[in-house]
Amino acid sequence: MNTPADEGNHNLRYAEYVLGVLDADARAEVAHEVRTSSEAATAVALWQRRLQPLAEEITEATPAPYVWARIHDALQLDAPPQAVPRKRLWDNLALWHWLGLGASAVAVALLLVVALPRRTPPPLPTTTAVAYMASTIKQDNGTTGWTATMDLQHARMVVVPAAPATLAQGRAPELWLIPAGQKPIAVGMISRDQPTTLALAPALLAQLGPTAALAVSVEPPGGSPTGQPTGPVIAKGTIGAAPETGGDKVAGNARKSTERPRV
Amino acid sequence: MAVTRTAEHEELNRLLQQAGRSDQQAFAELYRRTSSKLFGVCLRMLHDRGAAEEVLQEIYITVWNRAASFDEAKASAITWLTTLSRNKAIDRLRQHREELPDDPRTLDEAVDEQPSPAAQAQTSQEHRRLTDCLDALEPQQRSSVREAFFSGATYNELATRCQVPLGTMKSWIRRSLMQLRTCLDS
Repeated sequence: MNTPADEGNHNLRYAEYVLGVLDADARAEVAHEVRTSSEAATAVALWQRRLQPLAEEITEATPAPYVWARIHDALQLDAPPQAVPRKRLWDNLALWHWLGLGASAVAVALLLVVALPRRTPPPLPTTTAVAYMASTIKQDNGTTGWTATMDLQHARMVVVPAAPATLAQGRAPELWLIPAGQKPIAVGMISRDQPTTLALAPALLAQLGPTAALAVSVEPPGGSPTGQPTGPVIAKGTIGAAPETGGDKVAGNARKSTERPRV
Repeated sequence: MAVTRTAEHEELNRLLQQAGRSDQQAFAELYRRTSSKLFGVCLRMLHDRGAAEEVLQEIYITVWNRAASFDEAKASAITWLTTLSRNKAIDRLRQHREELPDDPRTLDEAVDEQPSPAAQAQTSQEHRRLTDCLDALEPQQRSSVREAFFSGATYNELATRCQVPLGTMKSWIRRSLMQLRTCLDS
């Protein structure tokens, strides 16, 4: 027989569950009750209504764009990985052509400086996502062949030639993404004399990060017939967060379990 | 302000219902509008970006699979989503308990200050009512409740953090919860 005190205590368990102070076993018990008893479900819902408003105080933080790409992949959605593309400076092809004239990492840095103050809409005060990544793709002789800038928000990459080596007649450069310890993934054909914009599929977007590399191989004009590089690799580059993009952390830190930012 | 908030909440209810009917565009839009909030919840509890990203991914996969069970008569979409997020983050904390760092913070350091007046102006009527009731508690007890809510720590962890016996922590929190119920339901 339940005394009023027991009932009070029992009800408190639902409050404790909602507050989050129960250990794993007690928590699992209440979760089970919620699924099997409508009374328990109602009691828990009531406590949620009482306590949940505290969550309004929690500061928002923008997740990195690859999180959505991973969700998109895991659920095998067919909608585009980004719902609302916006027209911005990035879309100005003339700028990219102009950049191509003297393209180098300096030019990419310049673009970022030019582009950032115009980012619209203004980011939320606590925006922490990495918006851009960049890579300098160097040839074996040490000179930069291309620079690549990745706009994660809009799932695309612009590859600007700097001083790529001459290729044999009837051969073309193809860009590959190589995740650490994995096979190369074709990104697309690029040009030796003008910037190329490439769309990044969600599967590709999800792999972008400091452990992945970009490489350029020499292929037939239509691209490698096998889906893997067939010709020699003439340039390689690592991927880093583009500088000064308003993100507080590069993605390279994102997965370190030792990092415990106070929020 | 209240009108905007209500309109935004209704829009989220609609998006979640549409996601429940497998509308991918609505789901993408729901993510766009709510992921920063839910990521904030995860980061606050897990203190680790990588772990918070994994949990956020789990959350939205669950949202997609369970959206059909959302009933706006029971809770608003944003409450449904934050509840789900806190639950997932707490489950994660319990699974990886051994990896929790020894947290040297004392309660005074750990507990968030009251929101600034500006932030407070943007919170709901329900939030103001709750903080009024929290304000009526003893300072230590109020701190314990807030720390529990935001950190997802167990009684044991809270007691260690505050350097009080487990029994003391339990009675602080239980008494606070009872007082809060009386205050909020009056």
